[in-house]
Amino acid sequence: MLEITTIEKSYGKEVQVLKNVSFSLAPSEIIGLIGASGAGKSTIGRILANLEVADKGSILFENQQLIKMSAKKRRQLSKDIQMIFQDPYSALSSRMTVKELIEEALLILKIESSKMARLTLIKEALKLVSLDPDHYLGRYPHELSGGERQRVGVARAIVCNPKLIVADEPTSMLDTSLRLELIALLKSLNEKKGTAFIFITHDIALTQNFCQRLLVLNEGQIVEQGSTEDIILHPKHDFTKKLLSALRKLEAREEVYL
Amino acid sequence: MRSSTKKIGYIGFALLAIIILFALVGPLVIPYDSSEQTGESFEAPSAAHWLGTNDIGQDILAELADGARTSLFIGLVTAILATSIGAFIGITAGYMGGLFETLAMRTIDIVLTLPFLPLMIVVAVYMGQSTWTAIFVITLVMWAGKARQIRAQTLTIKSLGPVQAAKAMGANHPYIFKKHILPGVFPLLIPQFVAAVNAAILLESSLSFLGLGNPLMKSWGSILYYANNRSAFLTDSWAWWIVPPGVCIVAVVLAFSFIGYYLEEKVNPRLSSYTVRKRTMKKERILPRQDDGNILSLEDVTIAYHHKEAVKNVSFTVEKGKVLGIVGESGSGKTTLATAINAQLSGSAAILSGAIYFNGENMASYSEEKIRSMHGREIGYIAQAAMNALNPVVKIKDQLKEAMTEHYKMSPVEINTRIVEVLHQVGLASRWQNAYPHELSGGMKQRVVIAIGIINKPQFVIADEPTTGLDVMVQVEIIELLQQLQQELQMSMIFISHDLPAVLRITDELIIMKYGYIVDRGPSNRIAKYSQHPYTRRLVDAIPTLPKPLLEEVLK
Repeated sequence: MLEITTIEKSYGKEVQVLKNVSFSLAPSEIIGLIGASGAGKSTIGRILANLEVADKGSILFENQQLIKMSAKKRRQLSKDIQMIFQDPYSALSSRMTVKELIEEALLILKIESSKMARLTLIKEALKLVSLDPDHYLGRYPHELSGGERQRVGVARAIVCNPKLIVADEPTSMLDTSLRLELIALLKSLNEKKGTAFIFITHDIALTQNFCQRLLVLNEGQIVEQGSTEDIILHPKHDFTKKLLSALRKLEAREEVYL
Repeated sequence: MRSSTKKIGYIGFALLAIIILFALVGPLVIPYDSSEQTGESFEAPSAAHWLGTNDIGQDILAELADGARTSLFIGLVTAILATSIGAFIGITAGYMGGLFETLAMRTIDIVLTLPFLPLMIVVAVYMGQSTWTAIFVITLVMWAGKARQIRAQTLTIKSLGPVQAAKAMGANHPYIFKKHILPGVFPLLIPQFVAAVNAAILLESSLSFLGLGNPLMKSWGSILYYANNRSAFLTDSWAWWIVPPGVCIVAVVLAFSFIGYYLEEKVNPRLSSYTVRKRTMKKERILPRQDDGNILSLEDVTIAYHHKEAVKNVSFTVEKGKVLGIVGESGSGKTTLATAINAQLSGSAAILSGAIYFNGENMASYSEEKIRSMHGREIGYIAQAAMNALNPVVKIKDQLKEAMTEHYKMSPVEINTRIVEVLHQVGLASRWQNAYPHELSGGMKQRVVIAIGIINKPQFVIADEPTTGLDVMVQVEIIELLQQLQQELQMSMIFISHDLPAVLRITDELIIMKYGYIVDRGPSNRIAKYSQHPYTRRLVDAIPTLPKPLLEEVLK
């Protein structure tokens, strides 16, 4: 479904954030983009979400070339590629209710012209993220907890039924106990609707039981890729080993809680 | 909003209403035409002429009423023009960026340096002295400042989450503009507009007073101009000829300033603050307690924000040289607690009951002076570096220096030695002392924040979410660093985090907070394994763990 070949991206003349990145994604597949901060993983997400433009390379999405596509056509493709943001506290406008926030996606992409049909879609999306529509439709973001806000963010991404969702560290601003819940939610969406996910994170532990494949990114390059199990159990590249041993150290008192 | 601000706002609106009424109704009810001679020269106030007459026998009250019309007209028209031009250019420059922005900003810079009065004189020569000349010149000098402020606001909104989200949803420019930029900028325009009216009225009065206004139109400034020219100050006539227009100008400026002040606070809620009346402590509570060897003990502490209790009946102790972990999710009250221990609760929060003892002394008995001298010296505070704990425009070494010289008089050599030493302690090469925060990575910034926390060798340190916002590898480095420093320097420490694994690694004792209460507590090496408390279990179960085989893989 998605075929990225040798894309590059620089900021200014000196900072090259992506070097020669290539990977592909099958329909309904979930891949994890792993790396330290500054590795360029968010940049890949932002390029796919049309928030940045790659300097070079090719991005084929369902046989359409995204690079050099007309701005208008590219915007329309947002229907198929949606994004979930890292910070649920700032991504939702404080002036809008939950209904308006989710409806925004429908209005922008001109999906469903009738109000009633839109409301049905919004309610469906809220149910999918386990928020009771009657209870949440009229609420403002500041009346919601961090976990509920992120669910609204997810509802907004799935309301237009995209084929791919880029989730950029969606759990990092959430409290520990909510992280696994959100992952479980994303996984259920993948099973119910067949949505493909690109899950961007620095926490490999979160990718287990969720991502089918992992790409390890270091300093703008993919240094290793493979099945999630393979990468976690048999890391080959030094950087991957370092990343895993860091996690290991955090869990060094693991015997304490297992 | 504070009630004093509200009052000021209401006074402003009332004053403005009176002035507007005077401008609208005055010329209709005052039986004289201000441009005609309707009395003797220099008549003192009388029943016929309430404010007397001027040198050519014109009624001054009628002049004032006409002047009010002129002032308000010029003020409003100019403000509308200046604010809309400023808004248009500011928003466009901020939103579009690129060449337009560069050109607009350079033009604004030039306009801001234009000398107002000479410009007025030059323009008046070409365009003639008229009301529209005044409006033109005042607008010309005023739009630039507005444009600059509005551009800044636009830039902020453009980079915010909702705009990014809308773009990712495929929104085009007109949509983002209409739905996000305009509603975001609009609240700022209102106080800007009010300030513009105010400035325009004042400028118009100055122009007229200097004789540069429209000579055919009555304005408060021109009344003063003629009074001054006819030497009103040398006769008694100043009392009715100069004071009333002066009072009018002051009144209108005050009215708009008050309204502006009120609106500013209304659109910017951060400026307003709430106050909680602090309950006076009973006297016996403040008595110092016997030293029990603990560096810190809390007894039944309750803290409230805006009358809402954020920390409820919390008691615990920290032994000397030990590390206590406080774990809880956002809203559990852990940061409020840390702020209270650091004696930094702001006006809206207060300790309602209970006591905090530091080295056996009740902190409620401390003077402000004592608390200031304690900060950084006896209690070190390590904040989350990602939360702007460092000043972006000050070099690292100067931030470290500031943390030291607040407490000690030291020679430059001693200061430099200590800076290099402390940077070395936190694992940074001494060359980084000359860097600015933006040149450092997240982990390095956190190291600098730690250096600031320990530079005065405090015996007690509060680390508030020091690993939050960092990636896993850096988290481990920071935790190892804190652990090593704590042991080397024999510090007592409170380590606050919502991340249970991080806390388990470094602490001796652990308390778990929820909704302001301590729900569970115990030694760190036992609590996670043996605690039966459902909330603790939930937190522990939520820790994703890697499958076992990896351990051998990594260790071999």
